[in-house]
Amino acid sequence: MKHLFPLGLRLALVALGLVAGCTSRPSKEPPIRVRWTRDPESLDPLLLANQYATEAANLLHLSLLQVDFSKNDFSPALAEALPTVTLLGDSLTQLTYQLRQAAAWDNGQPITGHDVALTLKLMYCPGLPNESARAQAGFIRSIRIDSLNPKRFTLTCQGQAVEHIQASGDFFILPETVLDPQHELRPTSLSELQKRPPTTPPDSALSRLARRYLAAVPMPGSPAPALGCGPYELSSWQKNQTLRLRRKTRWWADQVRPRPFVLQAQPRRLEFAIIPDDATAALALQHGDIDLYPQVSAAQFAQLRASETTREQLAFYTAPSYDIVAAGFNTQQPALADGPTRRALSYLFDAAGLLQATQFGQGLRTVGLIHPNDQRNYNRSLSLLPFAPDTAALLLRRAGWQQTTPRGPWQRQPKAGARQQLRLRFRYRADDASFETMALQFRAAAASVGIAVELLPTAAAALTPNLQAGDFDVYVRLIKGNPFLFNFIPVLHSSARGAGNFTGYGTPASDQLIEAIAAARQPAQRSRLLQQFQATLRTDAPVVPLFFMATRLAASRQLAGLHVSHLKPGYLVTTMERKPASFPTP
Amino acid sequence: MVKQWLWRLGQTAVGIWLLVSLVFLLSHLGPVQGDDALLPAAGDLNTTSTPSSFAQRQATRRAVQHRLGLDQPVFYLSWQPATDTTSGCWSWHGLSNQYHHWLLSTVHGDLGTSLGSREPVARQLWQALVYTLPLVGITLLGTLLLAWQLAERLAMQPRWQPLLQAALTGLQALPLFAIALALLLLLANPSVAAWFPPYGLGQATPAELGWGLWISTYAYHATLPALSLMLSVLPAVTLQLAGALRDELAQPYTATAYAKGLSQPQVIRRHALRNALLPSLTQLTDLLPTLVAGTLVVEVVFALPGMGRLLVQAATTRDYPLLVGGVLLIGTARLLALLLADVLYGWADPRIR
Repeated sequence: MKHLFPLGLRLALVALGLVAGCTSRPSKEPPIRVRWTRDPESLDPLLLANQYATEAANLLHLSLLQVDFSKNDFSPALAEALPTVTLLGDSLTQLTYQLRQAAAWDNGQPITGHDVALTLKLMYCPGLPNESARAQAGFIRSIRIDSLNPKRFTLTCQGQAVEHIQASGDFFILPETVLDPQHELRPTSLSELQKRPPTTPPDSALSRLARRYLAAVPMPGSPAPALGCGPYELSSWQKNQTLRLRRKTRWWADQVRPRPFVLQAQPRRLEFAIIPDDATAALALQHGDIDLYPQVSAAQFAQLRASETTREQLAFYTAPSYDIVAAGFNTQQPALADGPTRRALSYLFDAAGLLQATQFGQGLRTVGLIHPNDQRNYNRSLSLLPFAPDTAALLLRRAGWQQTTPRGPWQRQPKAGARQQLRLRFRYRADDASFETMALQFRAAAASVGIAVELLPTAAAALTPNLQAGDFDVYVRLIKGNPFLFNFIPVLHSSARGAGNFTGYGTPASDQLIEAIAAARQPAQRSRLLQQFQATLRTDAPVVPLFFMATRLAASRQLAGLHVSHLKPGYLVTTMERKPASFPTP
Repeated sequence: MVKQWLWRLGQTAVGIWLLVSLVFLLSHLGPVQGDDALLPAAGDLNTTSTPSSFAQRQATRRAVQHRLGLDQPVFYLSWQPATDTTSGCWSWHGLSNQYHHWLLSTVHGDLGTSLGSREPVARQLWQALVYTLPLVGITLLGTLLLAWQLAERLAMQPRWQPLLQAALTGLQALPLFAIALALLLLLANPSVAAWFPPYGLGQATPAELGWGLWISTYAYHATLPALSLMLSVLPAVTLQLAGALRDELAQPYTATAYAKGLSQPQVIRRHALRNALLPSLTQLTDLLPTLVAGTLVVEVVFALPGMGRLLVQAATTRDYPLLVGGVLLIGTARLLALLLADVLYGWADPRIR
């Protein structure tokens, strides 16, 4: 072996390491480096492909309202205050915004209602990937800009849902000076664009707008001018490798005093390192190549915490998350169409055991879709569902099911229709071992009472289409939630069957209750309705909420100002700073 | 002779066209379509407003399909299933179909744009190849030279032959991910030996560092990925070539060579090697597509931005233009590698021509 690795070669490797090691330590303050698992894929503010794209866009752009991690609610960002609400008749809402006086683009031009109007018109410009944005902001029917004060404008919205207030301010504002410098779109109203059939060929003004927009959207490897009015600009983007942002030297919000939490931007440079493998990310954190490792898996978190070598070097954080792991039943299947059967099967999930096995106990069990920390809305009169296969068998008999032999299959004869057999197909995401554990636990519990379960591990991209098509009997999946939205229409209303209501659940009473929750304006009234809703879900059991997840982060102790949040991505990068002694002065 | 090779090249071109056409059609016939990834997430409670009803979602889907041209028929003809009033039949769609547009663009050198990012496919493939080609190319070349040296020595049956052969056989039994993870956990782990960086190829550019320092940084970062690849390829090539050389050295013609007064290394290089190369040539040309396909496992473990990750990402997000472009590139490399194997066979053994 001496011939293979002679001393010279070994010395060369060491020298290489020393040279490379020296060159990788710059003399100025290093950036704050955060681990991402995948590339953002697109930084197009109209089409954010994944969570990382959203995270980057939140640093490059600003909305009228932004999620405020300190309050777990929306706060004014570009807007000076939350909008003034005026209800018109019983179907329209007017929201009046005033933009901050200091709000300006990088070239010093003030941000006005005309920029907001152009952004809304972009959502109807043919040839742009604006379909999702259009669907989300489609309730805004018109915009009227104050002729005396262009920073003041009024949005007229279809409907009177409480969420319109938040949704009306939740899109990134783009500059008219860059995208429509000649103001060609000003004479065209928003409603004219909305009425335009999608197949109509675009006129020249719209074509030019689309061309300018597409040219302004950054691509990996090519520098693009800063399009947004956020605190950061793109420094470099190497696909599947790194995304680097640098703080604008002159950002309009630096003039705002006192500085609101949503307009904080401390780090001078940010670097997002795309590291797909968890083990590599953990080593990179220990090696000092990254400063923050968010969304650490439970096993990795426990391993890092237990390590003697990392304990002094790293800080560990956990916070409750609003993402909930839930099972669901296909209520459109004849055998699962009745609540008593679904309720019986709910007892076959060992939620406590699964929380321990998959999350090392970090997380919170729940009775419904409301977080147990939500003191006002969580229904404490309901008890946590126990793991009780015997109870499941008992309730199945009460629901009309019978076994021909003690361990034989369950059958029942409905009053009308063919004889039913209780055999279940269980669908889950194949790329997550936690879901596989849950599927295996359910299958074992079901087998103990004589129910056959076929497992259907499914690729992540294929899961939603399969669930929408109703190709399952039981599923388990993660439902992403947040603390300030109580709109269950996309998930459990009968109008959302085939879309986001995978279970196909929905009765006239439940639909009415869900609509009442969405429309409730008084907290007390909403609380009462939410408690009633949790009780209804327990009885009807279309979904079985198992537990709320926890957010786990590991970070270098050199970081200060790390703000851990319940909300995605679990941390706020803009408040972070490197402790002064942690880098050499130039 | 030229006519024969032109014929072979033509066959290869037809093979590539058939392969890519098949991938194009199969990818468009699956239950999950490319526009699924571009629609707003369904079934979550964290957005302020989503198209909640089935009708709204379908309208959004139709708009996405219209923009991307996915609302056109996939192929020139399609099977229309029977309905209550009509029986099933084939339907002709003319030239206005997705396959025809894709074929025309590809023939003109345009591989299209990615569905999600709208980045040109050719540009994405090139950016990934810039990382994959040098790393895999230099590693494979180094591995082959090392394998050649090792095989020659093993064929001479020195005293340490059984030991090295056992070690190589053991190494061959290890999957690539195990080798890569073992190297990572042993040589880039602050708890054991943090001799190498755990990920990436160095974040600085040549412009920032200067070429000399950039190359040393690159080499330092590339050591573990290259070593992983080398250790996974080396045993198979070495053991195969060493075995073939031993077989050749047992042939009577080598006795004549020895009788002429040649030493064993000379007998191997001048006589036995060329005859022993035939099976190894197939093995070597099999490795060539890796140059453009990348090695997913190494790229994931060491967070390298290569072709493997790009194509897996394309497959998981159903980005069909990128996926088909990647298959076209890899398929071309594979079929050209087979062609090269035929050429090399003819060179190594003129009786085959």
